[in-house]
Amino acid sequence: MLWIRNGIVIDPKNKIKAEKMDIFVKNGKIVPEGEVRREECRVIDASGKLVVAGGVDMHAHIAGSKINTGRTMRPEEMRVVRNVAGKFRAAVGRVLLTAPAIGYEYAKMGYTTSFEAAQPPIGALHTHEELDAIPMIDKAALPVFGNWHLVFKCIEEKNLEKLKALIAWAIERSKGFGVKVVNPGGVEAWMYGGNVKSLDDQVPGFNVTPREIITMLIKANEELGLPHSVHLHCNNLGVPGNFQTTIESIKLAKGFSNSKRQVLHVTHVQFNAYAGSSWRDAASGAAEIAKVVNSMDNVTIDMGQPIFGHATAMTGDAPFQFTLHKLTGARWSNKDTEVETGAGIVPLVYLPNNPVHALQWAIGLELGLLVDSNKVALTTDYPNGGPFTEYPYVMAMLMSRKMREGELSKVNAYVQKATGLASIDVEKTLYEIINMTRSLPARILGLQNKGHLGIGADADIAIYNLNPLETDTSKDFEKVYKAFKSAEYTIKSGEIISRNGEIVKEVFGRTFWVDARKKVDMEAVMNDIRDYFQYYSVQLGNYGVEERWIKKPERLEVV
Amino acid sequence: MIVIKPKKYFEVCVEAELTPELATKSMEEVKKFKVYYGNRVVELGELFEVTKTGDEKKLVLEGDFSRVKWIGARMADGEIIVRGSVGANCGAFMKGGRIVIEGNADDWLGIEMSGGEIIVKGNAANLVGCAYYGDAVGMTAGKILIEGNAGNYIGEKMNGGEIVIKGNAGDFVGTEMRAGVIEIHGSCGFVGGDMRGGEIRIKGKFELLPTFRKTEKGWVGDVNVKGEGIVKSL
Ligand SMILES: [Zn+2]
Repeated sequence: MLWIRNGIVIDPKNKIKAEKMDIFVKNGKIVPEGEVRREECRVIDASGKLVVAGGVDMHAHIAGSKINTGRTMRPEEMRVVRNVAGKFRAAVGRVLLTAPAIGYEYAKMGYTTSFEAAQPPIGALHTHEELDAIPMIDKAALPVFGNWHLVFKCIEEKNLEKLKALIAWAIERSKGFGVKVVNPGGVEAWMYGGNVKSLDDQVPGFNVTPREIITMLIKANEELGLPHSVHLHCNNLGVPGNFQTTIESIKLAKGFSNSKRQVLHVTHVQFNAYAGSSWRDAASGAAEIAKVVNSMDNVTIDMGQPIFGHATAMTGDAPFQFTLHKLTGARWSNKDTEVETGAGIVPLVYLPNNPVHALQWAIGLELGLLVDSNKVALTTDYPNGGPFTEYPYVMAMLMSRKMREGELSKVNAYVQKATGLASIDVEKTLYEIINMTRSLPARILGLQNKGHLGIGADADIAIYNLNPLETDTSKDFEKVYKAFKSAEYTIKSGEIISRNGEIVKEVFGRTFWVDARKKVDMEAVMNDIRDYFQYYSVQLGNYGVEERWIKKPERLEVV
Repeated sequence: MIVIKPKKYFEVCVEAELTPELATKSMEEVKKFKVYYGNRVVELGELFEVTKTGDEKKLVLEGDFSRVKWIGARMADGEIIVRGSVGANCGAFMKGGRIVIEGNADDWLGIEMSGGEIIVKGNAANLVGCAYYGDAVGMTAGKILIEGNAGNYIGEKMNGGEIVIKGNAGDFVGTEMRAGVIEIHGSCGFVGGDMRGGEIRIKGKFELLPTFRKTEKGWVGDVNVKGEGIVKSL
């Protein structure tokens, strides 16, 4: 039992704006004062400290064959030793971290939940083995559907019941959480060396278009009533002029609604927010995208903010990865994941004096500033935009124009004419930033017990050495950055796991998965699935992950 | 000058960044110098006998050092004489000074070195003067002379300096090389794959990829990467 005394609480979900209050914890949950006996509580004095829910990273690449191939390709990343084996496990990695390092670094920063954002269903076992090796945090994985032959078949046949059954089957088999879509149709086109360039291009070999794939997946997702919406990585990622495609894709959400959450989440939008016709005249399309997102009440986005320094591009968007490799000359690995999807990996360094990198950096910030704080979550698309350990930098930047002016003076002057960043005077409040890193991502994912400190919430709590009543986040950006870099306390399910940026206890969190089987007639798709397994390298009976193989599974049943 | 001798046969490899800098320290400090024996950190004095004569910035390694890695790593000046063979990574990242190895050298000799000189009287193994795991650029300056033979991947990603091999070398000489000179007095296997610049001179036989064009300067390529490297007979 914990009694967190006199902290200054910010809890956007429950509309608490910096109020001094006490929080009580019992059995890993937040409980009313009456349910604990004060004399039995461990008391944490949080006077003058900021008390918030543990951070929720709704889109990162933390487990699976992609990140592991990245590690194999980048031995130089493994020279940074973060923790020598002893009381805790060995943890290494500069930006591309090992599994223990991922858990420890999130915990040090006050983050307690992270979602692996692209899991090829056939690779689910590997993904779960790796998720099981990540300590400290709760986690889940989003299987990918946008380039799967069976998905194309359902859409070609316009058979919604079959598509719903396939989704329910695949999410159960892969112990996944929702519907991720990566460059719909484009990765299949890549199998022939091509890509798709517009929402209405036909996917080679199939009578479907990206527009149809996205729309029908949204429809299926909404009819199934999954906790999370369709999670879309748009077509034309990384291509100058792509902001138009992004806006068109966002508008596909029109006509769908859900009272609890968005019906479409568009991810790492920075990579899909470029105006211009080539990298020579590329500019920001962030303002146009922000206008559209702000005008709709059923779409959310996340930033995909680049951080200057090392990164590793790894996406299911195999054709984009090849383009990037040709552009930079850096190492490249390609993955063809049977009839389901593909992926690519390319090492990357974001340099402030490189005009393209500076542009990307500015666009990420523009999106964070211009989009309504209740619609944009903070991400770096780890490790594509850089390390998640620099979230505090992004948080501080969004809150301080003064900090942005200082940083702007250090980057390539191209951003001055190609983006509107310098003239944006928006300074997000601490309340908004806490929303963008806690309540909002939890709401987007459909996690009711995460991202807030109301009664019944998971006792995932971060306490920072920052008094919101006395801090001017506009001026004191250095203090803000430092405070968010290492939480004074990180509490996971009621246990203190990190203190002042040092791990004090290793715990293993849960792996959430969604079971929507009761919502479908599974027989609608089983014949097709059996038929398609003639093309697989494994037999149907050997496909998938059993719940008992996962360390701490938690099934969320959709009824 | 200090003389260092192994006290025993090493069951597992020792990692010891022994540089001439040690000769400037007191005997007490030298004996307490930290080295790895397998995964254990131990004092130099536990594994080696040390004697000191005079103040010259020089290290003499007597005996078999073939299981001792990282000798001379990062050294900036002074001299190391090895009266025997050395383990992997000898002279890695070295900036200046001289290493003379009377026996053989193992893999990764002089990786990413930016100055100084390494002389091997015997043979060298693979990856001489190349980039360390995952790095983009190999040796940038300095000289490596191997009087015997060398293995594969000599001068991979090399960007300056000189490697001379009196005997033969294996395959993939000067792969992804950007600048500098590799001279082989014997024969070798494939040379110059993805070479962008620099020069490879070979006295004996060698094999060339079809992606080099014949010019009066020698073979120029690798055209696959729009390279202007030169491969020619010595
Ligand atoms: Zn991603």
